[in-house]
Amino acid sequence: MKYIATVEDKQFLVEIIDDKHISVDGKMYEVDFESVSGQPVYSLIVDGKSHEGYVAQGDDNWQVLLRGRLYPILVEDEREKRLRSAAGGGVAETGEFHLRAPMPGLVVTIPVEEGQQVKKGQVLLILESMKMQNELKSPRDGTIGRVRVKAGETVEQKQTLLSVI
Amino acid sequence: MFKKVLVANRGEIAVRIIRACRELGIETVAVYSEADRHALHVRYADEAYLLGPAPSRESYLRADKIIDVARRCGADAVHPGYGFLAEREDFAAACADAGIAFIGPKPSSIAAMGDKAEARATVIKAGVPVVPGTEDVGNMTDEELLGKASQIGFPLLIKATAGGGGKGMREVESLEDMPTLLQSARREAESAFGDGNVYLEKLLEGARHIEIQILADTHGNVLHLGERECSLQRRHQKLLEEALSSAVDDDLREKMGSVAVKAAKAVDYVNAGTIEFLLDKDKNFYFLEMNTRLQVEHPVTEMVTGIDIVKEQIRVARGRTLSYKQEDVNFNGHAIECRVNAEDPYNNFLPSTGRITHSLLPTGPGVRVDTGVYPGFEITPFYDPMIAKLIVWGETRAQAILRMRRALEEYRIVGVRTNIPFHQTMMDSHRFMGGQYDTRFVEERFSMDDAGEGKDAYAETAAILATLVAHRETERSANIVNRNERDTSNWKWVGRWERMHR
Repeated sequence: MKYIATVEDKQFLVEIIDDKHISVDGKMYEVDFESVSGQPVYSLIVDGKSHEGYVAQGDDNWQVLLRGRLYPILVEDEREKRLRSAAGGGVAETGEFHLRAPMPGLVVTIPVEEGQQVKKGQVLLILESMKMQNELKSPRDGTIGRVRVKAGETVEQKQTLLSVI
Repeated sequence: MFKKVLVANRGEIAVRIIRACRELGIETVAVYSEADRHALHVRYADEAYLLGPAPSRESYLRADKIIDVARRCGADAVHPGYGFLAEREDFAAACADAGIAFIGPKPSSIAAMGDKAEARATVIKAGVPVVPGTEDVGNMTDEELLGKASQIGFPLLIKATAGGGGKGMREVESLEDMPTLLQSARREAESAFGDGNVYLEKLLEGARHIEIQILADTHGNVLHLGERECSLQRRHQKLLEEALSSAVDDDLREKMGSVAVKAAKAVDYVNAGTIEFLLDKDKNFYFLEMNTRLQVEHPVTEMVTGIDIVKEQIRVARGRTLSYKQEDVNFNGHAIECRVNAEDPYNNFLPSTGRITHSLLPTGPGVRVDTGVYPGFEITPFYDPMIAKLIVWGETRAQAILRMRRALEEYRIVGVRTNIPFHQTMMDSHRFMGGQYDTRFVEERFSMDDAGEGKDAYAETAAILATLVAHRETERSANIVNRNERDTSNWKWVGRWERMHR
């Protein structure tokens, strides 16, 4: 089975040969891969070099915590990769952006209103959580679509707050 | 000797205080909110009593309930920790009225230093230099503040009169921005301290935040335990502290120490306290404020002096003299503390909540971890995001940095995002290694991408890990789909299986 793993701007072609062998960009490695006591923590020995990492599934990628650093990694098989390049990238620049609550909290203020033009980096909403007021900003230029919450409202994690069209 | 101490706090500091009491053979009483039934401080204490619902206003800030609990369980002293009721003179006074010792300063000292504007006035009288700002005490209206602002000059800081911990604090670049910032500062101060009053202070550029730890007893002895370097902050929240500071030499330490002692004496101070200073490039220092309580970062001072500050606090509260004289205070090696917060450094330090599913603490030589969490504990949005303090000691600053790097690598917390990668990037930063930083460093000249070399070294390994896990998941889901696809009927299959096991 062949996979393409994309780490930031780098790509690795990883082929899984059998339980103990893989190749990365054509180079063979002997691997020993174990999950540590049922946790999402994995011990990996590659040609005698021992690594321990935490691997979690993100919204559309894998998050690997290795030696304290977090690597967001997209893993696709060849078919998925072809599909995605056919569909074309750059989803973030067009279409609707839904601002979701990154954590549960209290909506303090919403300094924008429906139909308003906003710039990238402009504050869309202030959410209080853990005694801190957190500014949630727009990832791009656009117009405010529907605002689904009101100031003073308590919101759950991942709840949609408003959208930018 | 106290028989029983009530700890009016939660989290790591409650655990820290309980530990000191245990070592002294004192019984401990924890109080907790509905969200903290499973918290470590509840599990460690000899007794535990419920205060009320999760929000602090209904639990940890309920002075009346806490004093009531103390009375009913027969506690003879209350330790307030930091935050919550630690700097509330009315609480200290209420404890005294109830005949319970308050392990902290006198209500009058808390009042004098707690109102930041009054504190400035008091220390100016004692001849301690202060940062230029509004000298009038409290209660200024927005109009008055806007009027004063141009006299002080920009950039300046709006600070909460009742403040601490960076809450209700705003930086102002120009007069136009000021009205909105005043509003948000007042709003935050109101919600954090129940007091929306603010004052102004000039923002010194290129300055370091240096603080001096003070210990004072009821017999008039006041001594200082040297300085802590707390310049690494983000949004006025300290992230990393060191003892001692690479910017302070013996002469300057002597000078700052004696000024700090003078400031403490000006308010007739008793117990542990901290005088915060700003140190500019030319080594001029200015009084910022006094924290009339135990500080979050007290362990770095404990590591280099060998003095257990919490035990000294308890000793002083019993009316005994300090166990040390100024000449007994010696500094050995270097200590660094990293505050491990449930914040995502890759996503603008947004707080992260959730259940800690896995946690492996760093151990080994020279490492200390003060924490209130454990695997299975839920990080809720009700309290501050600090989950642990990682403290290391080294013979030299360089040794301490290397040790911290190692300890951070060992520390694994799964379930919530933490700022550990931030600290690792900091340990690798050349500016940090060289001690070349000020209070603006994190916000203006530091980036998570600075990691430089080494960062990509493990990209390939990470890719292999992700692929193997993804592959395993794919295989597993394929197996679930195919589970019932056996080539023969299930009855026949069971028959074969039984025969095989006969």
